[in-house]
Amino acid sequence: MKTFNVWYITSFIISLIVIIPVLTVFSSYFDNTSDYFKLLKNTFLFEYISNSIILLIGVLFLTLIIGVSSAYIVSFYSFPFSNFFKWSLILGFAVPPYIYAYSLTAFFENYGTAYTILKFFLGEGNYNTHIPKFDGMLGAILSISFSIYAYVYILTRASFYFQSNNLLELGKNLGFSKIKTLFKIILPSARPAIVAGLSLVAMETLSDFGAVDFFSINTLTTAIYNSWLSFDDLAFSNQLSFYLLIFIFTLFIIENFSRRNAKYHSPMQGGFKLKEKIKLRGLSSFSAFFICFIIFFFSFVFPVCQMLYWTILYPKNFFDLDIQNLFINTIILVSISSLVLIIFSFISNYGNRISKSKFLSILTTISISGYALPGVILAVAYITFIAWFDNTIINYLEIKSIKKLFIGSILGLILAYFVRFYSLSCNGIKSSYEKLNRSIDESAYLAGYSKLRTFIHIHVPYLKSSIFFVFILISLEIIRELPITLILRPFNFETFATTAYIYASQDLLEAAAVPSLFLVIIASLFILFISRYILKEKYE
Amino acid sequence: MNKNYLEINNVDFQVGGKVKVKNLSLKIQNKGQIICLLGPSGIGKTTILRSIAGLEKIDKGSIKLKNTILSSKSEHVEPENRNISLSFQENALFPHYTVEKNIYFGTDRNKLNGKKKIEPKKIIKILNIEKILDKYPHQISAGEAQRVSLTRALVSNPDLLLLDEPLSNIDENFKEEIQVKLKQILKQFKITTIVVTHDSYEAFYLGDKCGIILDQKLKQFDDPYNVYHYPNSIKVVNFLNRGVLLPAKVTGQYTLENEDLGLIKGNFVNEHAVGSIVKLLLQPEDLEHDDKSNLQLDVIDKKFKGTNFIYTLKTKSGKYVSVFVHSHHVHQHQINDKFGIKKPIHIKHLVCF
Repeated sequence: MKTFNVWYITSFIISLIVIIPVLTVFSSYFDNTSDYFKLLKNTFLFEYISNSIILLIGVLFLTLIIGVSSAYIVSFYSFPFSNFFKWSLILGFAVPPYIYAYSLTAFFENYGTAYTILKFFLGEGNYNTHIPKFDGMLGAILSISFSIYAYVYILTRASFYFQSNNLLELGKNLGFSKIKTLFKIILPSARPAIVAGLSLVAMETLSDFGAVDFFSINTLTTAIYNSWLSFDDLAFSNQLSFYLLIFIFTLFIIENFSRRNAKYHSPMQGGFKLKEKIKLRGLSSFSAFFICFIIFFFSFVFPVCQMLYWTILYPKNFFDLDIQNLFINTIILVSISSLVLIIFSFISNYGNRISKSKFLSILTTISISGYALPGVILAVAYITFIAWFDNTIINYLEIKSIKKLFIGSILGLILAYFVRFYSLSCNGIKSSYEKLNRSIDESAYLAGYSKLRTFIHIHVPYLKSSIFFVFILISLEIIRELPITLILRPFNFETFATTAYIYASQDLLEAAAVPSLFLVIIASLFILFISRYILKEKYE
Repeated sequence: MNKNYLEINNVDFQVGGKVKVKNLSLKIQNKGQIICLLGPSGIGKTTILRSIAGLEKIDKGSIKLKNTILSSKSEHVEPENRNISLSFQENALFPHYTVEKNIYFGTDRNKLNGKKKIEPKKIIKILNIEKILDKYPHQISAGEAQRVSLTRALVSNPDLLLLDEPLSNIDENFKEEIQVKLKQILKQFKITTIVVTHDSYEAFYLGDKCGIILDQKLKQFDDPYNVYHYPNSIKVVNFLNRGVLLPAKVTGQYTLENEDLGLIKGNFVNEHAVGSIVKLLLQPEDLEHDDKSNLQLDVIDKKFKGTNFIYTLKTKSGKYVSVFVHSHHVHQHQINDKFGIKKPIHIKHLVCF
């Protein structure tokens, strides 16, 4: 019996909220724009597109090498500190690309930290000419790669981990060497996971704003931001978004397709045989340790040490900063947004579960496409829509303007976060829900439990660890998030991320170090909390 | 006033809009009766149980329990309000609760109804799951999980118990013992039960009545003895796989003749005109071995079944028939040997189609 109940209405509203920015971008494509469009079209548009593509290729290449090699080493071999590296290699996530970019510049710039170290050990000298400069495109590629290679690492490692020993024994049985086994058996089997990881990396790279803006690389994302901020041309911002969205939705489709294929490589209880790690000795053991250490060092230790160094060197910045206020602001955003996201994800998932409706399922699929939307596009489209709504509908109804309620307000920020991170929250709960067979619910009904009691006594206790995991994951994303917060935050409302950005954009990198360090510490703690879920080594 | 305990009247059982079993009618007259439904996989047996439990709705007919309509086109009592227990084939144990908590989950209603209480501890002991009470479902075997599921369903003291392949995962050597214990519990507490199984021996042992579902219909519903000895259609014979059908000519009120076996005597279950050609059901226990007989057939296959051998024999016209011989019989025959059949053949019930 299909009735339009509370589940339909809620799912419909969620889908509508998520779909509005996409529709705004597509409808704005046909709007008139200022002369900036012609100017840009004749001058820099090609450069923006080519920069985006070069950045994408560079980051994909580097993350593929770093992510797959580290995943391979920790999954198949045992060496000193291999268990430590297993989880510490995901700590790079705690350092957003823009903070990595600040550290990279601070260390290698003229008279930067590298210069200071050389001077300390070797005395005065003209070292600046010998210190390599990692700025511009190379700096952006390095910053983004070390910050997000963990997508590839986590997915590939999971795939490697669940590769059955039977498969590897088959390789030995066929007389394959280790290298041949790697390329003929291990990598092809993990291919869907690697592609899924790379697709996520690609989406994040095209969405990145902080690092490319810091290195003054003109990409489509920065063009969207600049055309809105510098030229006040929202329509053109949306037109650029249109190009970028087509690109990103293609990646979104590839990623989804890869994930679907990745299921076929999931372990089956019957045929799975846990593999024993190969114990390395001597030079090979040292090499494995060295590779993992280098990746861990450059992805996490290096930026953290740089921030720490500056914080200690310039303690005034620490005392000048209203840390308590930044912390409270961050906690307010994180807790309200996570709570709202989790509640709506629960409603949507539970509605889907008990209604068994295809229409509801389609609505949910639409509503989880939000994560493919870059923060900049989302924020600009959001402002466009609210402005249009206010100018037409609200004006027509002759009621008070809603602009202030939704733009430059906490509510507006939470709504934008909702669109951006709803898929994360919804999918996180969904994946656990799917493991709970529907006959479990039916058993409860037959034991006299109503739907509500089943939800309270069966679903909630079963899903509590997933809820915690999702909560931390959303919090982590919100803490790291920059463009949405930057564009939509209320006046004088700062978070660690926006404070770091503002100082860095004014070339005050030493001052940016303190909020960056706090951000990284909080994010690292969150990652440590959820590392056991991310690196799960048992069937659930 | 209608006094049937359970009444299923002309129901089309469907799942996802697809009708699995059409126009089924079935009655359980007295509380405590056990009904077994047999049928091939995918025929809709589970759908019947799910619909009775209220997990699927019906568009045609009605289901009444204790004179109250539970399901019809216009009415649908929710599963939680039916006091019907279903033990799922896949067990459906709550993965985050221990075995003990899973079992006691079903006892809430037991307390509420104030009926004769089934003591969970007693069932736990009978079904031999005392040692796994502290374990979680993923820590126990499939057979143990099935016994836990069964216990949970039993201790809720339902008005109607539905068991979907309740013993399918239990080891063969333990199965018979559990069957006996299960039947004892059901009879002791007078729990009206519908069992779905594909194991005809299980159905014949447990059921006061058995139903055979074939081709979307309830083909036969009768005592196990009658279902076995008097199958009402060729399809039921083929499903039960209990014998072969041989062509024969009715030669008199108590006789018929087959070209290979000669004269066969017995009582016809149904009336057949003298001179008509029928298909006679010949079951392995219908023929007797006699080495001295002049009716000698070729041994094609021999199966050792513990207490007896089943010989598969080939007749002159190329038909295959099976014969039981006690395994302590004085001598054994080998493949390709000749095997004598006692004449004249006398079969107590002549089942012909």
